[in-house]
Amino acid sequence: MSNFWFGEGIRKGRKTEKFPFAQPDDPPARPSGLEGSGEPYCPTEAIKNGKWDQGKCIFCRLCEPEYQPTGRQDIFSVKKTEPALKKSFYIYKLDSGTCGACNVELGTIFDPQFDANRLNIFATNSPRHADAIVIMGILAEGMREALKNAYEAMPEPKLIIALGACAISGGILGDSPMVREDYHVEIAGCPPSPYTILEALARARGD
Amino acid sequence: MPPHEYGDLPVHKMAPGEFNFQYGPSTGGLMESVGITLTTPGELINSVAVDFSFKSRKLNLRGKSIRDALLTVERINGFHAASNSLAFLMSVEDALGMEVSEEVQKARILQLELERIRSHLEVIKRLCEPAGFGVPVNQLGYLREKISRIISRAAGHRFFFGANAPGYCSVSGSGINEKLREAGKEFQRIYAGLLESKIFLNRLQNNGLTRDNFLTGPAARASGLRYDSRIDSATLPYGDTPFYPVIREEKDCFGRFNVRGEEILNSIDIIASLGNIKETGKPSLQEGDGQGCARLESPQGDIFYYAGLNNGLIEDIWHVSPGTLNIRAFQESMKGNIFTDFHFNWESFGIWISEVGVVFQ
Repeated sequence: MSNFWFGEGIRKGRKTEKFPFAQPDDPPARPSGLEGSGEPYCPTEAIKNGKWDQGKCIFCRLCEPEYQPTGRQDIFSVKKTEPALKKSFYIYKLDSGTCGACNVELGTIFDPQFDANRLNIFATNSPRHADAIVIMGILAEGMREALKNAYEAMPEPKLIIALGACAISGGILGDSPMVREDYHVEIAGCPPSPYTILEALARARGD
Repeated sequence: MPPHEYGDLPVHKMAPGEFNFQYGPSTGGLMESVGITLTTPGELINSVAVDFSFKSRKLNLRGKSIRDALLTVERINGFHAASNSLAFLMSVEDALGMEVSEEVQKARILQLELERIRSHLEVIKRLCEPAGFGVPVNQLGYLREKISRIISRAAGHRFFFGANAPGYCSVSGSGINEKLREAGKEFQRIYAGLLESKIFLNRLQNNGLTRDNFLTGPAARASGLRYDSRIDSATLPYGDTPFYPVIREEKDCFGRFNVRGEEILNSIDIIASLGNIKETGKPSLQEGDGQGCARLESPQGDIFYYAGLNNGLIEDIWHVSPGTLNIRAFQESMKGNIFTDFHFNWESFGIWISEVGVVFQ
């Protein structure tokens, strides 16, 4: 039986895409960059005074056709990088109150199409071994202490990363776990696509 | 479930020599935040208590329009957004007495079955993870992403967000059957390999035996219960498709794995029988009064919504998640097992905490 799985691994060949060193093979239309004009109805006020705030956007399509998705996947902002983490970047995932979609998309970057490990990005099960905490979801009251404890348990240097509209701004569901000024990296989307997550994490450690 | 009802869950009285082992709420080994207390004298697990109140979310729905409420309902369980949003919309349509075209109903079946394929692939992948089965984990992850891309092209979003409205569906099935057939063949090969692997099957067989019939979804069907809301669906035309309920008698993790594996293949056949689905109906703002309810078969099991409308606004809303029932069954099924059985059993139920710990306001 062990030969069967060895053979299967070889038979399938390489499935990993070249992204982020090349364009995405199959980028989703939503979430992606938005372009347009006017003041269409926006339930999260992501579009206000003709400006689009990607961190508030839940990509609900209610602003279409005035605004249209561009397919651009680089909808993230990096305020601080840690080049010291370039060769080994361990992230700790913290679900502070998600719908589950962000959890799945973050896990997807370790699937064969994306293979985050080739970029020296790894997931760790303990905040004590983490270089960055990736916060997902709104702040559910029961997770307040767990979030504080996980953050305090991490060694320096450490990055705080907000994944998805809920963590960045509260989205449409509630309050965000931290104020936006405290995040070093914001990864927009509801949920963010694996392309966006992978590129944002690579940039956060100084690529 | 509102927090004051959490107390209804069974409570174990500790015996001399037992101690509590706390797992979670936040740890890499769990997909979502959930607190699990294992009571053990050393190796045997005598009791398990699942506390899903950590990530209990209070969601504002009452007083919202149907359009705005739908945005929240889609995010009750993002991985099963089609099941939640369609059950909600069907309850709204029931309240408003709306007639929904057969094309829209077929497009809904397409969404539900695509969601089921992806969800079952995720569960089987997570069953392979604690076994350290790297090749199938990666191959199943690859297939799951392939299905996500099919969904993205069909619905304009990887999680069906924004694809539905009362009487309307913006989903296109064009060209997906060929891709699904290809994915089905790949899955059959992996599935056959897993069924031949004695080491893997040993971890599943006789692990997590269910003890009663308070179950729903694949967990119920793996316990010999012919319980699937697709059998008697009043609105969705499953009778016109090759759907059949997959029933197994094992009652353990293997039975639940087996049901999910067979259902993936059946869902591919169901989708192939739907013909060419195109974007149907027209989205419109609905107003009116009434009360309605709907149930459908989500990948986890039977999901139920009740909606009370007043002048087009949500006056009252309730939902019953399949996880509520299956968490009890999981707790009971863990008794007498050991810690290394835990992950296999937990993943085999496919429970999503996001959906269980929701309080509507």
